[in-house]
Amino acid sequence: MAVRDNEVQTILRVDLSTGKVSKETLPEQWTRQHLGGRGMNARLLFEETRSGTDAFSPENTLYFGTGLMDGLPVGHGRMSVACKSPRGTVAEGSFGGFFGPELRKAGIDYLAISGKAQQPVYLYINDDTVEIRDASHLWGLATDKTDAALRQELGDADIQLRYIGPAAENRVHSAVIMGNLNNSGGRAGCGEVMGDKKLKALAVRGTKGIRINNYDAFLEAYRDYYRKLALKTSRDPWTPVWSASGAPVLARLFTDMGNLMTRNAQQMSWDNDKAMAISCEPFLDHYVTKAKACFGCPWPACQKLYRIPKGKYQGFKGGNYWAGQPVVFASLIDNSDLDLVLVISGLCNQYGLDIFHVGFTLAWAMECYQKGLLTKADTDGLDLSFGCPNPEGIIDLVRKIAYKEGFGELLALGCAQAAKIIGQGSEKWALAVKGQELEAITERNNYMVALGIAVSEVGPDHTRWYPPYPCNPNLIPQKELEKLGLDLDLELAFQGRNPKEKGKLLRWFTISRAIVESLPGCVFLVRDTLGLDMRPWWKLFRTASGVDMSYPEFLTSGERLMNLDRAFNIREGFRRADDKPPYRMMYEDVPGFGYPRLEPVFDGMLDEYYTTNGWSLSTSIPTAKKLHELDMDYVLDDFQKLGVEVE
Amino acid sequence: MKRIYVIEDLCNGCRLCQSMCSSLANGVFGDRARIKILKIPGEERDIPIVNCDGRCVRCIYDDGVPTCVSLCPTGALIYATQHEAVELRLKYEAARKVYSLFKVVAPWKWPLPFNLPAQQPAPKDGE
Repeated sequence: MAVRDNEVQTILRVDLSTGKVSKETLPEQWTRQHLGGRGMNARLLFEETRSGTDAFSPENTLYFGTGLMDGLPVGHGRMSVACKSPRGTVAEGSFGGFFGPELRKAGIDYLAISGKAQQPVYLYINDDTVEIRDASHLWGLATDKTDAALRQELGDADIQLRYIGPAAENRVHSAVIMGNLNNSGGRAGCGEVMGDKKLKALAVRGTKGIRINNYDAFLEAYRDYYRKLALKTSRDPWTPVWSASGAPVLARLFTDMGNLMTRNAQQMSWDNDKAMAISCEPFLDHYVTKAKACFGCPWPACQKLYRIPKGKYQGFKGGNYWAGQPVVFASLIDNSDLDLVLVISGLCNQYGLDIFHVGFTLAWAMECYQKGLLTKADTDGLDLSFGCPNPEGIIDLVRKIAYKEGFGELLALGCAQAAKIIGQGSEKWALAVKGQELEAITERNNYMVALGIAVSEVGPDHTRWYPPYPCNPNLIPQKELEKLGLDLDLELAFQGRNPKEKGKLLRWFTISRAIVESLPGCVFLVRDTLGLDMRPWWKLFRTASGVDMSYPEFLTSGERLMNLDRAFNIREGFRRADDKPPYRMMYEDVPGFGYPRLEPVFDGMLDEYYTTNGWSLSTSIPTAKKLHELDMDYVLDDFQKLGVEVE
Repeated sequence: MKRIYVIEDLCNGCRLCQSMCSSLANGVFGDRARIKILKIPGEERDIPIVNCDGRCVRCIYDDGVPTCVSLCPTGALIYATQHEAVELRLKYEAARKVYSLFKVVAPWKWPLPFNLPAQQPAPKDGE
């Protein structure tokens, strides 16, 4: 069996225009600075994409990045994908599954795909063989059909695939890249760019073993890490609930707390019976057929396959019922039919649509319909009232969005763009930041969430600072706590509706999650004390990679990534004014629960965040001092060339 | 004699056992393992295939339980005698009929106690 060393990071460059393929090794220095995964992708993107590049041009490169922990049981198969978003920002996403480890076993850590193919193609990698193959016969197929067809064609049932659906081919807003039928990622624009490059799929087979030199120390570190996450030994009460029932368990809890966005977030609480009908209990009782997991996950059942047992949609199969669906396809459009939720969610996976895009845009359209801005003449005769009186019509509408037909063409633009076309004040309930739809997490009663969504460089993405309800700090003894470099008052920071310390808390979360995604690891696995205490991650990284770095140095790599993402956006012209929550959250109160608007507290939190980061208060540009401190002088040079004023 | 038994329905196909097993002897994470997970895409099944007598190269927790069994997140792998394995299997079958939670995780892996009807003493006459 061929063996590769874990330390070396190799990039495979593929130019689709010319068909040229080349392989090179990345500088060792970059591993120290950025670790790998998302960090390395951000560096590559910053260095190799010039400012002002059109997202749909051959120059925009699409990066797939694994990292030093992928292929070991710690990476959990996470990999990061990055490019420049059609909305101007940096686009970054991450997905799980088995693709990352397989890519590393083939001896490749990063894929950089540039150029644009004439005909639809797919990339086939088998250890050292790399081929660009014709994919005309796959173009237009739904993701499940593509999956089956490719496996049949390549004659390998266990080959690892990433592909796009019809939505990405048609460059629908926020289309995602799919894999293993139910793993999706890259909603910030990566799917659209992949579709534009006419790259239908990636297929990878690798047979090399990954050798780590310091195996005994790695096993020691892994043992402690596993204890923190295993159901029996974890000290976090969420671990068993989260890993077996999943996030739908929150639907009912959230409606009691006034935390569930209902009817396009006009209300924050739902009927308890309705919330119960779409909760995890009926799902687990009647729908789940099989639990699934990503590579090497210590949790049993984060992903579940389901089959609808009876009724109109009997036999419909799909996978994954997680945090998003119980909000965006249920409370947000006031639909309490679990069958319908699961059908829409399954169809989104088949077309390669982003569930948040579909859910929030649908809810936006429903509010327009409610207020008379859209009529049956606009919606192809569909009754778009809240409550989904015409479920068949909604299902057909999802198809129309993916293929940009009829009324779907408007919704395929995303709610921010569509609101600009409809106008008449509909921008006020288009729930989007930086052109990207919100996620299922609510803002007005957790100020850190509001801040996190507003400042996120890729648009709303809760995985950049997940979870907003962090671990119990009492799990860590006071003496240890002082060593972690937190530098914030945890008592104040964990009070949801207190604006104090939120900037500092968000800064800590952004940095620590950036590190987890650079290793890579799964950001849902920051349970127990792993979210506050990064030392177990540090030990794992040190032993697995052989890179000897100190703990502060390890934390700095996360800060570097945060600044790098910000620098990319600054280069594209994004400033402080772009970091703001949607109008509804900012200026409207919630009836009933007395949750106030964010306006009075938001600017103060933003100031705190910028100050602790060492960014300019007026523009949000990182200061020269900060950039120099982080060894990021190349960013300074770039800013100088472009005439960006740095304080 | 104790050996490794498998409850196929519980396997979620994460391949943690396979990956760890391959590395135990020489620190190379690869395909050379004594346990392999056969994945059938599109089907609701993952099949663990064990080619091992249960004498582990290296038990991760030094408690005599093979690494793969210690780490299995769902409890699909059991290290037991034939008689114990049958008992556990029956316990699992009974549990999943009562709580659908045990469709995805074995009752002995779950941290909270659930009092299964089968475990409660039968009511005596006259009560």
